[in-house]
Amino acid sequence: MDNRPVQLERHPIREFYQQNSKTLNAFLMCVLVFILGEIVIGAVMGAHGTFLSVSQVFLTIRLAAFVALFGLCQQLVICVGGGGLDLSVGYIATLTGICAGHIMNGQNSGVLLSVLTALAIGGFFGLCNGLLTAYLKLPSLVVTMAMANIVQGIVNAYVSKVAIEGNAAPALQWLAARFTGVFPNILIVVVLVTAVMMVLFRRTSLGVRILGVGANENTAYLSGVNVKRVRCAAFVASGILAALIGLLLLGYLGHASKDMASNYVMPSIVAVVVGGVSINGGEGNYLSVVLGAVVLQSLTNLFVALGWGDAGKWLGYGLILLVMLAAYIRNKRKR
Amino acid sequence: MNDKKLIKRLASRAETSTVLILVVMIAIIACLQNNFFTVRTMLSYINSFTPLILLAMGQAVVIIAGGLDMSCGTTMALLLCIMTRIMDPERPVTGLYALVAGLAAAAVIGAVNGFAVGYLRLPAVIATYATSYIWLGIALFVTPTPGGKVVDWFRGFYDLKNIPSLAGIGQFVPSALLWVLLACAIWWVVRRTKTGRYIYAVGSHNDNAYDSGINTAKIQTAAYLLNALFCFFVAVYYAGQNGAGNANLGDSLTLQAVASAVVGGVAMSGGKGSVFMAIAGALIMSLVGRIIYFANIPNAYQTFVSGIIIIAAIATSSVYSFQQRRAQLKGGVRNG
Repeated sequence: MDNRPVQLERHPIREFYQQNSKTLNAFLMCVLVFILGEIVIGAVMGAHGTFLSVSQVFLTIRLAAFVALFGLCQQLVICVGGGGLDLSVGYIATLTGICAGHIMNGQNSGVLLSVLTALAIGGFFGLCNGLLTAYLKLPSLVVTMAMANIVQGIVNAYVSKVAIEGNAAPALQWLAARFTGVFPNILIVVVLVTAVMMVLFRRTSLGVRILGVGANENTAYLSGVNVKRVRCAAFVASGILAALIGLLLLGYLGHASKDMASNYVMPSIVAVVVGGVSINGGEGNYLSVVLGAVVLQSLTNLFVALGWGDAGKWLGYGLILLVMLAAYIRNKRKR
Repeated sequence: MNDKKLIKRLASRAETSTVLILVVMIAIIACLQNNFFTVRTMLSYINSFTPLILLAMGQAVVIIAGGLDMSCGTTMALLLCIMTRIMDPERPVTGLYALVAGLAAAAVIGAVNGFAVGYLRLPAVIATYATSYIWLGIALFVTPTPGGKVVDWFRGFYDLKNIPSLAGIGQFVPSALLWVLLACAIWWVVRRTKTGRYIYAVGSHNDNAYDSGINTAKIQTAAYLLNALFCFFVAVYYAGQNGAGNANLGDSLTLQAVASAVVGGVAMSGGKGSVFMAIAGALIMSLVGRIIYFANIPNAYQTFVSGIIIIAAIATSSVYSFQQRRAQLKGGVRNG
């Protein structure tokens, strides 16, 4: 009788694929879209079109950066579970941008005060969202949509009394809008954030707690995690991040406007889903969200190049979101 | 003694609070507006409140069935755009084509929503959020900028006085009222069929309903189809009123429809509530808007206040149903 333990064969490649399948899928989609874009543009525009060139790719990534950053807000809120989404990030960013523009007025010295203002604004509205969602258990999509209306109302009221003025500080503009050679500076922010997020989620206890709450609320509760507090904190973090992104947007655009950030909200949700972050929470990594944002932005460029404009963009986003939802997120079939 | 019991029974019903709030609202606005009780004011209110009433009724059906529809506004806009594109004032028969096309499109929209939520079992909130953008995109394809035409007799859908032969009736009966009555009649009939009963069952507890042999996916699809039908009514109404299509017309209506249903006593968890009470909810939401106007609060604050009211409405409903559940548990199974 052979009592030796069986040596199971390990397939490192298969393990790698299984652990990172969603990220790899997102990366594959990126490549696919680029190739598709190249083919379509080549067919439509003949010899003139090139979809794929180093500068084009970097430009796409630059545009995608903001969607990716807003996607971070969504990912935090989604990961803590309970079907969370944050639709108010757009107007929080807008409000912060408008206020910051006033404060900074084109000077670098105003940056610190702007950042503090951003923390206050984002934190306040994030807290409102968090309390309503986590403690009162109201559905987050509806709550954050209503909160977006509220912040929009504040923006409208502000704008009707005081004209928007003030430019972004040069430092902010350098970070958000300028290039070093071919490399857009905003990528520094994205890369930094990606690194921080990967460390946070995989190595720190806070990250584990966040993912735990999302994966199984009851287990986390029984393990001593204050589920409501973690969920509320996720919304607060989302609000603060949204406000800081508002500052970056201000730098990117030069000066604020009433609808600065409203077009970024829906793509940020789609980017998160495309990136394979489970809507039910508990899994997902930020790198795939960034890749999802790039996929989305390339598709948008494709639609624009084909002349489909806004209509095609919304239709495309809606379809992609629906298809990716069907592909990745299904309530586990108990029957 | 009997009176006391009656009052107690009335007070414990959820609908009582809704009706009370409605009465208070009407009282407030009657104070603020001098000519509130005139026929002209009433008519103009009925005309402007009807879209929200119909959308709220449709939303109520879907929420009772256990789902949610974040796409009702853009659905309505898409149907409106399709119909105004098809119609040609030179040929009155195109109005008929438009109605058929609109109805068919509504069926497709309802089927898609129902398929996504019922059969694919995607979370209703985000699935209909996705489909709302699909409808918006198609609507923008059909009508990139507000435009389109409407056949003359179509305008009768907004005001019967526009049709010469019906002008007599049009003096007394606003089209808007007829639309609401039609929707109420449809729901009254549905409510008494098996489907109507099953809608409540599926919304109340999806798994139990399934185990009882109900085809939950089909029932939820039916709910979404009914909702799409009511959106179609609103689209026809708007076509009669504006004579043109606008892809962005429904933007603010979706959230208001949800809030109206909730204010009307429909529980967001599903399985509870009355579509007729959703009418009261829609009236309350609309009257609040009017009160803001008459209290001289500047227009810029409107979105702000409406957002707060929506949150307050949903929060109250959630707290109320939580209290009810707790009371039921305490009171024992008999009261449940």
